[in-house]
Amino acid sequence: MPFNGKSGKFNAAIRTVEIGTGDKAVKLGGECVAPLYSFDAPIENAPKVGVLITDHGFENESEGIKAYYEGCSNWGEIAQRAAAMEGADFLVLKFDKADPNGENAPVEDCLAIINEVAAATDMPLVIAGCKNAEKDAEIFNKAAEALQGKNVLIFSAKEENYKGVAASAVLAYGQKVGAESSVDINLAKQLNVVISQVGVDMGNIVMNVGTATAGYGFEYVVSTLDRVKAAALGQDDAQLQMPIMTNVGDETWAVKESTASEADIPAWGPVDARGVNMEVATAMAVLASGSNAVILKHPTSVATVSKLIKELM
Amino acid sequence: MAKFVTIGERIHCISPVIRKAMEEMNPEPILKRAKEQLDAGATYLDVNIGPAENNGEELMKWAVTTIQDAFDNVPLALDTANKKAIEAGISVYNRSKGKPIVNSADAGGRIENIDLAAANDAIVIALCSAEGIAADNDERMMHCQNMLERGMMQGMDPSDLWFDPLFLVVKGMQDKQMEVLEAIKMFSDMELNSTGGLSNNSNGMPKHIRPIMDSALVAMAMMNGLTSAIVNPCDLRLMETIKSCDIFKNNTLYADSYLEI
Repeated sequence: MPFNGKSGKFNAAIRTVEIGTGDKAVKLGGECVAPLYSFDAPIENAPKVGVLITDHGFENESEGIKAYYEGCSNWGEIAQRAAAMEGADFLVLKFDKADPNGENAPVEDCLAIINEVAAATDMPLVIAGCKNAEKDAEIFNKAAEALQGKNVLIFSAKEENYKGVAASAVLAYGQKVGAESSVDINLAKQLNVVISQVGVDMGNIVMNVGTATAGYGFEYVVSTLDRVKAAALGQDDAQLQMPIMTNVGDETWAVKESTASEADIPAWGPVDARGVNMEVATAMAVLASGSNAVILKHPTSVATVSKLIKELM
Repeated sequence: MAKFVTIGERIHCISPVIRKAMEEMNPEPILKRAKEQLDAGATYLDVNIGPAENNGEELMKWAVTTIQDAFDNVPLALDTANKKAIEAGISVYNRSKGKPIVNSADAGGRIENIDLAAANDAIVIALCSAEGIAADNDERMMHCQNMLERGMMQGMDPSDLWFDPLFLVVKGMQDKQMEVLEAIKMFSDMELNSTGGLSNNSNGMPKHIRPIMDSALVAMAMMNGLTSAIVNPCDLRLMETIKSCDIFKNNTLYADSYLEI
């Protein structure tokens, strides 16, 4: 009997969410197949790679990242340098310094950076906060207002602040919004439901289901991504058919493998290469499990992951 | 596993309001019932036009287009003894939200409705009885096999035959209830889809009892693998039970708001 190949294409599809405007705008999602299974049906929008910039600058970053941005004297130049990375699709601005439990930088400082960056580049922008729900709501509200017409992604609304954040970002200022949960499938779905109950069309939501670095409880991340995509595609669950964006770089550059110096652990070799390996390995694993976009820091990681994606499409 | 499929039963010519609307081809009462059922969470809507011997074709075409146009091509079950009317309905049916369901065939005089479904790439409800209620599960399963073979011989996918064990009324046939549930288990073990008029069980019971009996039965039937039922989706207790069973069966992913979606 001849072999009859059966396509694993699903009857359901992930929604397509566009961020940015003009030529540089990127489309996330849209697929009706398992992650990266372009042999089952064409994947119109390949997974995307974003570059993370934080308001701390690059003082404490690894040598390779620091070197890449050397000579940049303002946020506009930093943004242009980041945008010039081979394989970069969008930029992510993150305001760690605004955390009230840390430096508590005022919202005006965040806005100044946002305005400088927005003026210097036409790359799609993703605005991330400081992890404090209340302060994030303030930053997001001002950022969404300042960036009207740029179709940015506000990344992201959480259980504690979704009402204000989603309503301001999408309903008041026409931006896209992220829905953030921490490796919790039920909360991931619940947030999508309640955000849509605020009046936000589900086509404006990108999921941020959280991640860990490969090796650090990462199997929960994989099972979460798997279950979300299985429900979205296999069970046609409309409440989970949002594309997923994952902030990989922020996690992987904080673990020991990426920070311990070669002097401390000579057997592990150069720290910069190790950090890139951790970042690339984690990024590819979340992409293979269903993430539609990853956020990275190191130029070598950005180039490597985007090349891998290209080869797989 | 796929989510349990509810087929809303409230567009039925046995209702005086609907009968009158169908006689006059007045869309409002029908669309109102369709909306109530969809708002309550029905997936399919059953459209029963009765025997409709005179104007069945015209009436079914009108009903299909009227309801599908108003509700984003909601999938429908076409329910009448008039075969030509079913075919006419399918000829104007939009499949974008799901195949039409032919309601229904049996292993006796209505077996040709399987052929009709096969010829029109439709789903068919296959009632496991011939002349009268099956005496036992041996007879039920014989009918099931016959209808399955008939469908498959004509190229139907087995998943397009939805087997109906024929739910029986408790008041009078209480001793047969477990047998019906066992038949559902047998369909499920054969990986076949199943459906049926679940609320038959509570016929003749006080109004406030019926949702309780229907909910208990649907839970037991879903446990045994029932994949669909023809129900009144406006019965909140029943719909909440179905949604909760879908969670236990891992057919839908739990979220705190699961009853609201």
